[in-house]
Order: sequence, then C-alpha cells, then structure tokens
Amino acid sequence: MTDFDPTLALSTPPDDIDTVQDFVQRVLEPHTDIVGIDRISFETALVELASNVIQHAAAGTGITCVLSIHADDHELSARISDSGAAGAVILSAPSFPDDLAESGRGLALIEMLVDSVHFERVAGRNVWTISRARHPLP
Amino acid sequence: MNFRTETIAGDVAAIRADGRLNMVSAPLLRQVVSDAITAGSVRIVVDLSGVDFMDSSGLGALIGGLKLARQAGGDLRIAGATPQVALVFELTHLDRILQNHATAETAYRD
Repeated sequence: MTDFDPTLALSTPPDDIDTVQDFVQRVLEPHTDIVGIDRISFETALVELASNVIQHAAAGTGITCVLSIHADDHELSARISDSGAAGAVILSAPSFPDDLAESGRGLALIEMLVDSVHFERVAGRNVWTISRARHPLP
Repeated sequence: MNFRTETIAGDVAAIRADGRLNMVSAPLLRQVVSDAITAGSVRIVVDLSGVDFMDSSGLGALIGGLKLARQAGGDLRIAGATPQVALVFELTHLDRILQNHATAETAYRD
C-alpha cells in the first residue's frame, strides 16, 4: 500500500465525535489491505482517545484539535494535538473499574487495542500518539 | 443513531438500535431504557444488530440500563452484537455480565 498521512482540523462545537469517526472511516475505507481486526481495533482506540479529548474540553468553551493518521505496510498510527488545559493523565497498566461502573474504561480499552500510547505536553498543547502493528494479510 | 422500542414475546421491551453508540448517542439510549421502565416494562432487550460501532460510553449506557432494570425487579439483555461490539465486550470482560443472544426474540427464552 501507499503511505498516507491525512489530517483533520476539528473544532468543538460544532464538530463532535461523529466528525472524527467519519474522517477515520473515510481515510481507512479505500485501504482494503488492512485486515478487519486491525481496522476495528485502531478505529475504536482512536474514537476513544478523541472522545476523551473532547469530553475533557467540554467543561470549558470548546476545543480545537488536529488529528492525523499515518498508515504504512507495518503499522497504523494517529496523533491528536489539542488546545485543552494541561492533561493530568497517568497511563499505567490497563485496569478496569467494577463490573457495574458506568464509566472509566476508555483509557484501559485504548491500551488493549493498540501497541503503544504516548502523551506529552508540547508548546502548550496536549499531544497523544497511538500506534498498532499491522497483521499481514491472510 | 435511532432507537425504536416495541413489545415482543408478551412483556419484553425490545429496543432496536441503529448506528453508532458513542458519547453523543449513549445518553439517548439511557433515556430510552429509562422510559421503557417508567412505562412498565422491566424485561428489556437491546437489539444491537444495527449498531456497527460502540465505544466505552455506549457500554456505560448499557450497564446503566442494566442497573435501572434490576432496581425495578427486571433485567436487561443484549442481542445481535456485531464483531466490533463483541470485541469491546470481550476486552472489557463485560461479556460475563451481558451475554450476547442471537436475536432479541430468543434473549429471554430460558
């Protein structure tokens, strides 16, 4: 496949998580060589991550963020850079809350769906990157 | 995202969901379940066969609905999970709490 690096600039509101997912699906759709488990795992992780970014900004006056996706023969990766307040997110080994908890599973789920999750604060922006190694075609 | 509620098998409220169950639509599902219980249906099945994507907020809404149904003396079950939905249940181990049934019509056949 040909490498690609499409980018989406997002502004909430009015953009929301459906804007993100429409973009991800539009980008990945033509690439029929990405096997099903890689596609749904990466898409799910990315939507979880973007939801987290949007949700934590929702308390304020909205957020601008830039999402880029990179894919090549070996991996799928994404980077989200947002204008939100400094994140106080601590990534640790994935752990889930009680079975009947109604929230708190997003980050653990991301960590299970991709091979790496990184967070850093760069020039006043929160920058998240995730990547997942691709399975070879069957 | 669309939700449609109908009564099946006598007293079971089947909530048919279509689209993406995410942070936008999850609060709506919670409301639809709550409305069904208020209307007197405590045995609920959420038909997920039309849901091509669910994230952790969708999962949270289903757990919330399950708790509401149990508090009312009933139950909430799921049916027709698509591959992505089944993956999210499996990774979070919530397939132990909400087992998938083949169809809404068979969810309470036990």
